[in-house]
Amino acid sequence: MHEVGIAAGILDAVRKETAMRPAARAVKVGVRIGEMAGIDPESLAFCFEALVKGSDLEPLALEIHRAPADELEFVFLELEEP
Amino acid sequence: MIRVPMEGKVLNENEKAAAALRAEFSRHNVFVVNLIGSPGCGKTALLERTLESFDPSRRVAVLTGDIQTDADAARLARYGFPVRQITTAGACHLDARMVRNALDGWDLANLDLLFIENVGNLVCPTSYDLGEAHKIVLLSVTEGEEKPLKYPGIFFKADLMAMTKIDLLPYVPFRADVAERNARQIHPGIEIVRVSSTTGAGMEDWLRWLRAASAGLAVHFMLAGNNCRAPV
Ligand SMILES: Nc1nc2c(ncn2[C@@H]2O[C@H](COP(=O)(O)OP(=O)(O)OP(=O)(O)O)[C@@H](O)[C@H]2O)c(=O)[nH]1
Ligand SMILES: [Mg+2]
Repeated sequence: MHEVGIAAGILDAVRKETAMRPAARAVKVGVRIGEMAGIDPESLAFCFEALVKGSDLEPLALEIHRAPADELEFVFLELEEP
Repeated sequence: MIRVPMEGKVLNENEKAAAALRAEFSRHNVFVVNLIGSPGCGKTALLERTLESFDPSRRVAVLTGDIQTDADAARLARYGFPVRQITTAGACHLDARMVRNALDGWDLANLDLLFIENVGNLVCPTSYDLGEAHKIVLLSVTEGEEKPLKYPGIFFKADLMAMTKIDLLPYVPFRADVAERNARQIHPGIEIVRVSSTTGAGMEDWLRWLRAASAGLAVHFMLAGNNCRAPV
């Protein structure tokens, strides 16, 4: 239910990160999500896709890594540079 | 294509608001607990019994969340401490912004202890940080001892489990030790108290936990009851 907010938080962070590298385009962002984080990965992927579609970040992809506890953190950002 | 490491927690809007609240609570030395449990598990009843035991000079306040009605605030206001109702109009949890709005006009410098009663729900409130020092999960003995396994998120995140309505243990086939074992399977370090708001059984344990948990703060609230007085 709150996966939309999480997806929006990921996009904000990606925008902040790419603002520092204006020439690059973000291709994929990796996040780690714990079993106890209260986040449903499928629902997050769904919300993420919906938010990216038609936005300045399209076609950004999301890669989700699972973890055992309540992790909810960034892992990497893949950038395409001219 | 290059891959750069990215660090930090994924923060949504709520977490930003919660971080601001936490900083505010810490600046004013307010000890805040967030009570979470299913509808009717006894959150308001436990708070009523708790407020009843406090000396009126204590600097304690309560925010209580429900989807509709201010019935809980009306119950809690009878003890003379500041109480505000948050009605979420549909939302199944409180979020940090609702808490911030509800605190409007209260001078946190005049508070030592703030109880937040969340909307009755074992799932959604788990994911919303309210800037509290501790989440507390309530599990009443009529809910079944397997609840910690079915709803692991809140038992994992809570620092204390209050098993409530223990006066009913003789009448329900609830194995308290199994419930506790299940909670510890999810969260080995979870502390547990058994209480009845009806008879007052276990209240000293609950008040002792509150006092110990807030010991790091220079809180001035004193817990009434024998052998339970905090230094002023
Ligand atoms: N026997 C017994 N009944 C209790 C106890 N605590 C609460 N109750 C009863 O359980 C019912 C629900 O209690 P509340 O305190 O309103 O529960 P709540 O968790 O605040 O409920 P919501 O705010 O609606 O989620 C009431 O009828 C209470 O009288 C207890 O310790 N023993
Ligand atoms: Mg209530």
